[in-house]
Amino acid sequence: MFAWVWFALVPYIVQAKQLAIVTDTGNPATNLTASDLVKIFNTHTRSWPDGKPITVVLRDPSSSDMQLVLRKVFNMTPDQARAFIQAHRGSIMVADSDEAVIHFVSSTRGAVGVIDLFSLTKDVNVLKIDGKLPVEQGYLLRGN
Amino acid sequence: MLCIPAIEKTAIRNATLFLAVFALLFAAGVASGQESTQMTPDPASATLPLTSKSPEAQRLVVEAMRVGLDLVEQEQCDVMLRQAINLDPDFALAHELLAQNSLDPAEQVLENGKAWALRGHTSPAERLLIEWWQDATDHKLISAITKMNDLLSQYPHDKWVVFMATNWLITQTQYDRAIAVYERSGITDSAGLLNNMGYTYAYMREFDKAFALMDKYVAALPKDANPQDSYAEILRMAGSFNKSLEHYRASLAIDHQFYSSQFGIADTYSLMGDQVRARQEYESAFKQFPLPELHRVQWQTREAETFIREGDLKGADQAFQAIADYAHSKHMSQVEADAYRQMAMYQPDPKQALQFISKAEAALKEGKNSMPAAIHQEQAQILRAHLEAALKTGNRQTVHTLLVHLSEMAASSNDRLIDAAYQGAAGAVAFSQHKYDEAISHLEEDKNNPLSLKLLAAAYQKIGYSAGAKRTSETLANLNDPTLEQAMVVPPFRKCYEDPSCTGNVKAVSLKK
Repeated sequence: MFAWVWFALVPYIVQAKQLAIVTDTGNPATNLTASDLVKIFNTHTRSWPDGKPITVVLRDPSSSDMQLVLRKVFNMTPDQARAFIQAHRGSIMVADSDEAVIHFVSSTRGAVGVIDLFSLTKDVNVLKIDGKLPVEQGYLLRGN
Repeated sequence: MLCIPAIEKTAIRNATLFLAVFALLFAAGVASGQESTQMTPDPASATLPLTSKSPEAQRLVVEAMRVGLDLVEQEQCDVMLRQAINLDPDFALAHELLAQNSLDPAEQVLENGKAWALRGHTSPAERLLIEWWQDATDHKLISAITKMNDLLSQYPHDKWVVFMATNWLITQTQYDRAIAVYERSGITDSAGLLNNMGYTYAYMREFDKAFALMDKYVAALPKDANPQDSYAEILRMAGSFNKSLEHYRASLAIDHQFYSSQFGIADTYSLMGDQVRARQEYESAFKQFPLPELHRVQWQTREAETFIREGDLKGADQAFQAIADYAHSKHMSQVEADAYRQMAMYQPDPKQALQFISKAEAALKEGKNSMPAAIHQEQAQILRAHLEAALKTGNRQTVHTLLVHLSEMAASSNDRLIDAAYQGAAGAVAFSQHKYDEAISHLEEDKNNPLSLKLLAAAYQKIGYSAGAKRTSETLANLNDPTLEQAMVVPPFRKCYEDPSCTGNVKAVSLKK
């Protein structure tokens, strides 16, 4: 028997992913439009309104978490994304874990990263996208 | 799970335990005063402090956690927690653990309030734990996640913290993340973690890994019943019914009081299609074992489902009505509402269904002995059942009103169950309007529910996505969990599969034996 009855346990089958866009805690931004996000990730927007340069931190494009980002933000295949990142080294970085993304973002002014929502810590801020948090219906980076 | 251990058979084990408990207490840096002095623990070796003025209360809580988490002797665990609270009524974490583990809804509510009130008088780590759970209960998901990870960063190798974190992640269906936390902990000697990680792989349908962990769990506790009980349940999930029965019987051979296994045998016969034998086993178990309230209702509900599986709706009505009456007599409002909601779900006549919906709503309104989170979740489930009945009557206005209400609830709650209820309902509405792409986007968010899975397979088929339809049908046909939705959907779905003249299913589905 499964131990520790907590709330209603409705197991089976993995739920849809919820990805969070995170910044360092000193970044005053709280919300981005989906279009702003695409421009930042495509490096068309290279600095925040206060002038700080933006560094984007992602997981490897072939990782399962990144499929949603590739589809909804980059509109690229993993191979295309890898080539794009290679061509924009310095503006886009790849980290090997959510913890590494959080570590880099929390210690780099102007950095913005993507993590699984359930990796979130108090060391970073979560941005709303189009006014919605990752837990809200209609949030951009939620799905399979 | 309740199991009163036979003291006489555990003399040697008790001696080992005595040493183990003391080792744990020392390792835990148990604080005997009102405040722990461990403000900045070293994550490599830190263990969760337990703040109490009573060393005996601390010992009891450590033992309760071992009994509850490793051996899954749930009621025995609760007895120890109550003893600890008697010794130190200000022991905040003991109140919180009892609130989360109790099988009595009234006690859950009472203890939850006490833990919250006492959180300021405990260590920062214990306070963080209590606030994390409270946030989870209050649907403050982002705050709950942050607090869980904060606690994990301080105590990444504490087996109880890792256990609680992985357990909560599992309830959130975050299986990958639960496994990552477990693997990062480096803990290999926790029987409770082996058990729950085995279930995690089973929920992911990775049964080879689940069985490997179950082998280790059995080897770790060869003289305890729960490893065999868990092995049996996972085998049943995989469709290996006869092997499942063997393991349940092995569990009872170890401890004939381990009633979960007796009921597990009954559940398994029901899923195998032998409802008469299943009811015999349920009745035998009810006669043998005095049960805590929530376990009694859980298995009465399973017995009621046997009538659904054999198409005897009158029998089901009688059984569910008895549950509702019992819950009413015990002032368990949410449980009573849940019984009426389930009665509504399987009624072929939507007008009859609406009458039961009204009863469910009335019971829930009373709100006796129910946690607020449970009331909100039940309310969402009732709205969904109401919407399904309104869909059958073709009342578009009611359907629209209910869907808006559910949408608002989901938008304001961050609760996984409430969101799933909305997504399933929205998917059903879109499907009824032949908006299959829209239906799919909603139904994919409610993949735990056989009602939604069935519609999802059909929606995939409608848009010509055969691979998705086949995969979803296969998942549905091989679901062996003892729930009302499974009883309503899966047996007829399988029957249609086996009938060459039936065109309702995707025919390429293979049933795993």
